[in-house]
Amino acid sequence: MTAEGGVQYSKIAEIKGPLVVVDDVENAAFDELVEIETKEGERRLGKVLEVGNGKAIVQVFEGTTGLSISGTSAKFVGKLMEMPVSKEVLGRVFDGLGRPKDGLPDPIADKFIDINGEPMNPEQREYPKDFIQTGVSVIDGMITLVRGQKLPIFSGSGMSHNILAAQIARQASVVGTKDDFAVVFAAIGVQYSEAEYFRRSLEESGALKRSVLFLNTADDPAIERIITPRVALTVAEYLAFDLGMHVLVILTDMTNYAEALREISAAREEVPGRKGYPGYLYTDLSTIYERAGKLNGRKGSVTQVPILSMPSDDITHPIPDLTGYITEGQVVLGRDLFRQGVYPPINILMSLSRLMKDGIGEGSTRVDHGEVSNQVYDAYSRAQEVRALAGIVGKAGLTEIDLKYMDVGDIFEKEFLSQATDENRTIEETLTLLWKIVSKLPKNEITKIKDKYIDQYYQEN
Amino acid sequence: MTKSIDKILEKTEKGILLDLENSFSNTKHTLDDSTPKLEQEYDKIISDSKKEAVKIEKQIIGSSDLEARNSQLLLLEKSIDQVFTTALDKISNVERNADYANLIKNLLDESTKILGTTKVIISTNSKDKDLVQSALSKYPDAELSSEPITCIGGIVVKSKDGAMKFDNTLDARIQRLKPLIRKEIATKFGVGN
Repeated sequence: MTAEGGVQYSKIAEIKGPLVVVDDVENAAFDELVEIETKEGERRLGKVLEVGNGKAIVQVFEGTTGLSISGTSAKFVGKLMEMPVSKEVLGRVFDGLGRPKDGLPDPIADKFIDINGEPMNPEQREYPKDFIQTGVSVIDGMITLVRGQKLPIFSGSGMSHNILAAQIARQASVVGTKDDFAVVFAAIGVQYSEAEYFRRSLEESGALKRSVLFLNTADDPAIERIITPRVALTVAEYLAFDLGMHVLVILTDMTNYAEALREISAAREEVPGRKGYPGYLYTDLSTIYERAGKLNGRKGSVTQVPILSMPSDDITHPIPDLTGYITEGQVVLGRDLFRQGVYPPINILMSLSRLMKDGIGEGSTRVDHGEVSNQVYDAYSRAQEVRALAGIVGKAGLTEIDLKYMDVGDIFEKEFLSQATDENRTIEETLTLLWKIVSKLPKNEITKIKDKYIDQYYQEN
Repeated sequence: MTKSIDKILEKTEKGILLDLENSFSNTKHTLDDSTPKLEQEYDKIISDSKKEAVKIEKQIIGSSDLEARNSQLLLLEKSIDQVFTTALDKISNVERNADYANLIKNLLDESTKILGTTKVIISTNSKDKDLVQSALSKYPDAELSSEPITCIGGIVVKSKDGAMKFDNTLDARIQRLKPLIRKEIATKFGVGN
């Protein structure tokens, strides 16, 4: 940081959507921070998207509403957008651009970090293999989250993903280590009531102390949403790799982020890709998701749980589709379960954690975890088939074993999957519940668990 | 007749005693059965209460820690503001000596270099007007604005066509360095690194 400032240009050639085109600009740099000043002296932040031929295209984060060609000036600050970071950011609430929103002053910065982050050297990445306990049985037991993983939640409009996100933020912890744990929560384009819910939920549970909140509400300019996940991840990286903390980053709702990207792309008159999203959506999303991970020789980790609501529950929509290519599995919320009043309505048959096998078992959860989880997965899958069959031939047409599987399906949904929003289950409690489900099956139906574990944990009825 | 009555009474007595014994045994059985259930229920209540206690403890400690930290932040900011106000006051009243004249020259050189032109209009406050005017001898194309601006010192340089402006006042320079200065002050108060 230097005392030298930037030049202020007052020749505005065009204002188009969220973009301002400035004329006769010299020495502007790509991604450079720009301060737009209105006739009335109001200041808005932006960044350079394109430079060349004496012109600079500036993307204004706070929108261009109220700006006019005459009287508006653009000051090229001479640096990239940076986030001031220090340990003091914990327990703080910021807006979508990283400015305090809790009535407290700016944090005293230990460092100023470029919000675009530095790409992780693939050579230095460490394979994620340590368990994070979310306190939500179905996630811990069957779609286990691992430190350094990126595991998105695919939801739909109106479903309970925000309640689940808040519950994970409140309850998540690392077990078996005394390392510090923090949650960075970025709400992107959420309703005011939802933003308040997140804030209150963390405040009342005492979890705000170890959390940092970034709240971009639906009435904030859409373009701010481009920045929100980046400032959140910048703070997360600092906490993880400078302070050695294990950081869980929850980004909700990434669909709003992609919508903002589409808006800018349309204003720049770029050739649209699928459903109007820019052709570089995949690349852009990867610049966010790939900021999760662990580094060799560093203590901390950044784990990401991005949440996205699939338009019309369509899993082939470009946003979930492209997200699925980058991330390591997915947690899918099911509309049917949601309608039945099941919370959390996670459809385990469509969900998967690709790194689960490395984060469970002896030394991290329990030696029988993988096998009991596979057995329950298999049993629930069979229960769904039997339910479909019962829909055609009726219950009377089912065999005795089919009826047992139907019971297993019911118990799975009522006792294991269903959980109160303030219920924090330990991994031991989760495994006990998994064994309760397995124990409803006759022993000869248990094919995925070693006999010694059956002898140890099977509960005779 | 009496014998028959005795027999009936004896039989009835036996029946009643047997029923009583059965009832006693059934009740004992039920009681024995319910003991482990009760114990389980008891354990669950205790474990739930412990969880609830830990949750409440976390809530209380978490919110009071935050409250204390936030009060400290506000207090620190108030002190930093006081330091700033005093410092700005001192700077604005600093003697306009040879060193200060050099500073103005440097600011002028820097500004014209950044704007890439010497055809500029310079604005300054009434205190620095004379110093700026004398520094302008080096720049024949430059002119001093007759309208003074409000600042503690330094200059604002504008290209004559009005397309570019460079704020090189001391206020703007301090503002740009404010985050670093705040950190320095906080360190002096024993907060931060």
